[in-house]
Amino acid sequence: MTETKYTYTPEIPEVFRCRVPLPGTLQAFVNNGVLRENLTDERFALESGNGMGIDFKVAPGQKVEDTIQVISFRDSSDTSDINFESNVVFGRESSSSTLLCTHTLSLDKFKTDEIINIKAESGSNSHIVIMQNEHNESDHKFRINISLEESAFLRINFITLHGALLENEVVVNLNGKGASCELNGAYLMDGSQIIKTNIMMNHLVPECYSSQLFKGILDDSAKAYFSGRIVVAQDAQKTQAYQANHNLLISPSAKAYAQPQLEIYADDVKCSHGATSGRLDEMGLFYMRSRGISGAEAKLLQQLAFVYDVLEKIENQHLRDRLHDLVESRLRGEFGHCANCSMNCC
Amino acid sequence: MLEIKGLHASINGKEILKGIDISVKAGEVHAIMGPNGSGKSTLASVLAGRDTFEVTQGEVLFNGTNLLDLSPEERAREGLFLGFQYPVEIPGVSNVNFMKTAINEQRKFRNLPPVTAAEFLKMMREKMAVVEMDSSFSSRGVNVGFSGGEKKRNEIFQMAMLEPKLAILDETDSGLDIDALRIVAAGVNKLKRPDNAFVVITHYQRLLDYIIPDVVHVLYDGKIIKSEGKELALEVEKRGYDWLINA
Repeated sequence: MTETKYTYTPEIPEVFRCRVPLPGTLQAFVNNGVLRENLTDERFALESGNGMGIDFKVAPGQKVEDTIQVISFRDSSDTSDINFESNVVFGRESSSSTLLCTHTLSLDKFKTDEIINIKAESGSNSHIVIMQNEHNESDHKFRINISLEESAFLRINFITLHGALLENEVVVNLNGKGASCELNGAYLMDGSQIIKTNIMMNHLVPECYSSQLFKGILDDSAKAYFSGRIVVAQDAQKTQAYQANHNLLISPSAKAYAQPQLEIYADDVKCSHGATSGRLDEMGLFYMRSRGISGAEAKLLQQLAFVYDVLEKIENQHLRDRLHDLVESRLRGEFGHCANCSMNCC
Repeated sequence: MLEIKGLHASINGKEILKGIDISVKAGEVHAIMGPNGSGKSTLASVLAGRDTFEVTQGEVLFNGTNLLDLSPEERAREGLFLGFQYPVEIPGVSNVNFMKTAINEQRKFRNLPPVTAAEFLKMMREKMAVVEMDSSFSSRGVNVGFSGGEKKRNEIFQMAMLEPKLAILDETDSGLDIDALRIVAAGVNKLKRPDNAFVVITHYQRLLDYIIPDVVHVLYDGKIIKSEGKELALEVEKRGYDWLINA
């Protein structure tokens, strides 16, 4: 279905082809912050923002069954530091599923700073997967500002596979009664890669739900920073807010820093937070090896098992299976074979 | 099949096994009994190759191969199986994938091609029947959310799938109610053949009503203090261990 898409982006190396478009996927390409072509039908409009970034609106009441995949990539046609802003509106009572993939196609030192403003209108049901797979010279910052209206549901799953310095800063304002926001993330970092996750979850009104589940596997001298704050305003009774950050440290020099924070001004709330960091479980490895499974394979299975519950949060089964495979090949060290590309996910 | 000679092992410098000699022949069932802390589980772990224990003296021959030179996975591929006292939960890895991985890794070692999907399914069905396991278990994470009894049945199921030459069952009877115990014991008896052998580690005589041992060893303070026929288990049940320890 994507064959025709390449004709107007001839400069994109062939390696870029997403050869495994998931069933029912509509693709749009963003090159160095610029949307290549609008993708619009009666259900939604995905258009170029003010030169850079995108404006994406799902029309009220529309149930978009297809996954809208936005493939955002940096390449050598513009190696300057770029920053841009996108605006997303999920209309009233709409439902949609969006997949945002970020990539780097040339070995240049890229710096990308992008802001995404998301408004989830009342009763909307939106799922976003952000798959980050960039090379060792990429510094990419996401600043995502989310506002949820009454009974809106928004889930974002970050699957972070590769990148030099990746920062995901998310500010959520639960503005309407009964709104729900789920933020999940799995990050796999090795070498000297760094991931920073910074979350501010503001419960402003009663009866809202939020949960955060971030899990990471850190090898070599990779570092992960997690800072998550849940603020429950005085009026926000019957709030449920949960947060967990767990890290698996494969090497002795990998580091995880967690800063969970709760600020609760209401008195009828259910809130929890937890942060752990641990190593591979020796007993579990021995169990698998005692069945004839090699030490390397046992380690891999244990790492896959560690991030399994985050991957399970991805609703679309095709996408979930695909990302499961990608995580597995990432853990097997099968990435980075191609000089021009650190992706290997296509 | 298995020759343990003068085996000493320690953990963090503390000696747990203080000279063990056991000889197991094909077709035999050996029971190892003994009070808590006598070294039973350590012996099982050392034989299976858990590297938290250090073997300081002695040797173990398994069909002529020096077992102590091998990694845990190599021992498994040679046909050794350990049924765990506390089977480990592996969320995210389904029973079926776990078994397929294990079987194919073992087949690779024997220069056999990976098992076909049809063969594998047939095998799963047959072996699950051995321990009366419901087929819904195959898609669940390994031991995740299993009751104590289900975990132990899963151990016997895995043993049935892997068809080891020698199976060491470490307190497989602990935490089992009488029905589960019968199922587990019946599973072992169905898998018993003239060319394989079992070492059953147990606290109680109870299991030995169902799995009849050829030899019973009593382990105390890191040493075998008595080895006899199956009647020893009955005597231990009646008189406890003190008469042996103080002898």
